[in-house]
Amino acid sequence: MKALLWLPLLIFPALVQSNFILSIFTFSFILAIAAVSFNVIFGFTGQLSMFHAAAFGIAAYITSLTASFFQVSFWVALLPTMAFTILISLVVGSICFKFQLRAFYFAVVTLAFSELARLVILNWNSVTNGTLGLMVLDRPFVWMPGTGLLKIDGVFGWYFFSLTALIFTVAVCSLVLNSWIGRCFAAIRLNEDLAQTLGIDTFRYKLLSFTLANTLAAIAGSLYAFYTGYIEPAYLSINQSLDIIAMVLLGGRSSIVGPIAGAFVLTGLPHMIELSGEARAILYGLVLILTILILPQGVIGTLASLRRAA
Amino acid sequence: MLQLLVGQTLNGVIVGTLYGIIALGVTLTFGITGIVNFALGEFMMIGAYVTWYLFDVAGLPFPIAIGPAVAAAALCGFAADQLLFRFTRNNLINGLLVSIGLISIIEAAALLLWTTTPKDMGYVLSGAVRLGDTSLPKMKLVVFALLAAVMFLTYAALSRTWMGRAAYAYAQNPEAAMLMGVRTEGLQSAVVVYSTALAGFGGALYATLYSLEPSMGGLYILKGVEAAILGGIGSLIGSLAGGIILGVTEAVGSIYLPSAFRDAYGLIFVVAILLYRPSGLFGAER
Repeated sequence: MKALLWLPLLIFPALVQSNFILSIFTFSFILAIAAVSFNVIFGFTGQLSMFHAAAFGIAAYITSLTASFFQVSFWVALLPTMAFTILISLVVGSICFKFQLRAFYFAVVTLAFSELARLVILNWNSVTNGTLGLMVLDRPFVWMPGTGLLKIDGVFGWYFFSLTALIFTVAVCSLVLNSWIGRCFAAIRLNEDLAQTLGIDTFRYKLLSFTLANTLAAIAGSLYAFYTGYIEPAYLSINQSLDIIAMVLLGGRSSIVGPIAGAFVLTGLPHMIELSGEARAILYGLVLILTILILPQGVIGTLASLRRAA
Repeated sequence: MLQLLVGQTLNGVIVGTLYGIIALGVTLTFGITGIVNFALGEFMMIGAYVTWYLFDVAGLPFPIAIGPAVAAAALCGFAADQLLFRFTRNNLINGLLVSIGLISIIEAAALLLWTTTPKDMGYVLSGAVRLGDTSLPKMKLVVFALLAAVMFLTYAALSRTWMGRAAYAYAQNPEAAMLMGVRTEGLQSAVVVYSTALAGFGGALYATLYSLEPSMGGLYILKGVEAAILGGIGSLIGSLAGGIILGVTEAVGSIYLPSAFRDAYGLIFVVAILLYRPSGLFGAER
């Protein structure tokens, strides 16, 4: 039943022919993948990870560099990216969770690792071209029944490609979060000591949540690199992490689809209204502050509780 | 080589005291209000730019320019406390995110007011002191002395005055302190404003040594938080010591190791400390 809610987005391009609007939607879809996956660790497991932008950026680099260096397709290049993201998530997650780092300390240590990753990419000039970044010229191919191999290029191709990836992410998240795994995550979020007393291996589930979130963020990062055709160290910056956090908070951290709304507002709004960089930063700060002080449940959460009250 | 080592160590100590004054603000705010004010670096920037404006543009003597600079930072701190931080007491995540929103706003406002062009303030005090083979600018010594003096005065005030003892009592047991007649609302606001004033003072002195950019706050708050964790959150002397250790590590580390990773040495240090001694070098064992 809920799957039908995607239908308007599927027929949307037929109604709106504007390339500008469709490209904003594509950006929103890709960033929504990052936001939805961040909510797995933040909203559902209650751990403020600052590593999300690092997973996003590292994946953008590995996928595009593998694709151009070894002349392989997007899908083959995605394999080492996934392997590396899982490996680094297990390492960083194990260190943080083994030493029982919570709340602020977890945020600081993940931020430290994220900054280390950014500094490595920034200074590894021979491979990453430093601050200037690199162009990504390859495009992904998909196999379609009837037409055979289809190159993803142009506005329509990317619209459906990124939408499919978002639906896939939401499907994975709702499968996991609605299962017993998701209930273990919720137990950890609500009271970690109690969860441990009840026999939940909190270390293992926190690590699982962290790895799942980062792996899905890696998909978003890879798509983002191929869509924009450009990679730069700023993808790993603290600001990128904050953008994702703001999307989740604005949309609401208590539902799977909430962050999608946040991603749409924060990606679309600055493009819809012509604003200078400074005005955009002020608007972004105000949205963040007002959301926390006035709508702590986010837009979707507040709408849901209004409907329950009515 | 030895000369370089000594010079870098002394530079590290001076930069470290600047980290230390931010760390002191971080520690005080965390102990009393339960949040980490990530926007402290921005109050430092406000103090620095006001000093630059009064000294360079308006032509006031430096000692007189410091006063309004600290006042401006404290006033902005008071406004931020009453409008924002009052609603996020003891809510770490919300406080963190609100202060991050505040960073975005203050930094953008500073960009509009002063643009990205770095501002260099004229010499307040020229000349250098020679220590054996190394020469040290007099101004750096003055900055070090002033910052250390303010930090020790804060320490003395906290242990000697009624307000200071109330703050300690509150940090230990809020309910008991309330029952003993501590006005907790006022105490919390006072600490938030005081920490922003400290940051403004640090900024005023920063302006005499380095050039100013609107983005300077972001780096200093990260270093301040690192220094506070290193020294142990809740320890006042620890924040000065943490700052100096961090400053010296970076300065000396960049002689022997690639200086592009300068910002990483401190981070590795902090991660190691958090893993093996979570209460910091000078903090009480948990």
